[in-house]
Amino acid sequence: MTILIIMCVGVFIGIKFFSKKYAKANYILQVVCTCVLIFSMGASLGAREEFLSEISALGLDSLIFAVVPIIFSVLAVYLLTKNQKQ
Amino acid sequence: MVWLALLSLLGGVFCGMFVFSAEHVELLGVISEYALYILMFSVGMSIGTNKEIFSKLRSFGKIVLIIPAAITAASVLSGFLCAFLTGVSVRDSVCITSGLGWYSLTGVMLTDLSGATIGTMAFLSNLLREMISFFSIPLIAKHLNYYCAIAPAAATSEDTTLPMMIKYTSEEMTVVSVINGVLCSAAVPVLVNFFHAML
Repeated sequence: MTILIIMCVGVFIGIKFFSKKYAKANYILQVVCTCVLIFSMGASLGAREEFLSEISALGLDSLIFAVVPIIFSVLAVYLLTKNQKQ
Repeated sequence: MVWLALLSLLGGVFCGMFVFSAEHVELLGVISEYALYILMFSVGMSIGTNKEIFSKLRSFGKIVLIIPAAITAASVLSGFLCAFLTGVSVRDSVCITSGLGWYSLTGVMLTDLSGATIGTMAFLSNLLREMISFFSIPLIAKHLNYYCAIAPAAATSEDTTLPMMIKYTSEEMTVVSVINGVLCSAAVPVLVNFFHAML
């Protein structure tokens, strides 16, 4: 919810005050933030003591639990939107 | 961007394993929370600067609600197939796929409800869902359509996978993506509790 409010504040500032000439700087800011988020996710994973043993023991089953819902979800959305304009 | 993301991930795992102490990792968690806020503010400004986006979003109509409903239903149903493929009980399997990519919450919830093994599996599989989504968004956006690029990301389409949506789809699709992420995220705790109690 906080995220949504912050984004709405950003939208408001974008409409009222923000100029398109800063778009490039804004994009770089997005890339930096994204890298920080992913780096931090990796660090919290790597810091788990059982990380390597978990990956090797439960890796294949976990992969199935990731890939099957992805395929089903993409298929469902594709069937519902194949005639939509984007 | 994909390579930068991969490099950040591997760098993070390496530092988590060999460089950082537990306090560093905790601090990084706080930093990443603020990084997410800054990212969302920045994305908001991009959207606000693009004035045509709101009229375009209106033209999307009810599809904005159909997409998260379809992703949620498909993910829940896929849990039954996963149970058959892995030998995990139907209840735990459906709970894991109901995580919709939100690995931290699903991992914690299922550790509590079904024990450490299922909790870890929920954590890993939803994390993998997020990672695979991250790197498949460019391909899906190119070969299927922009709506389909939201599908693998599910609950993560409002934060971690959002930058890929921004880069490889359109700005109005970014708004659809955020709405999808908010609705899917709201559904995750409800679904996990519901299926754990009902199945």
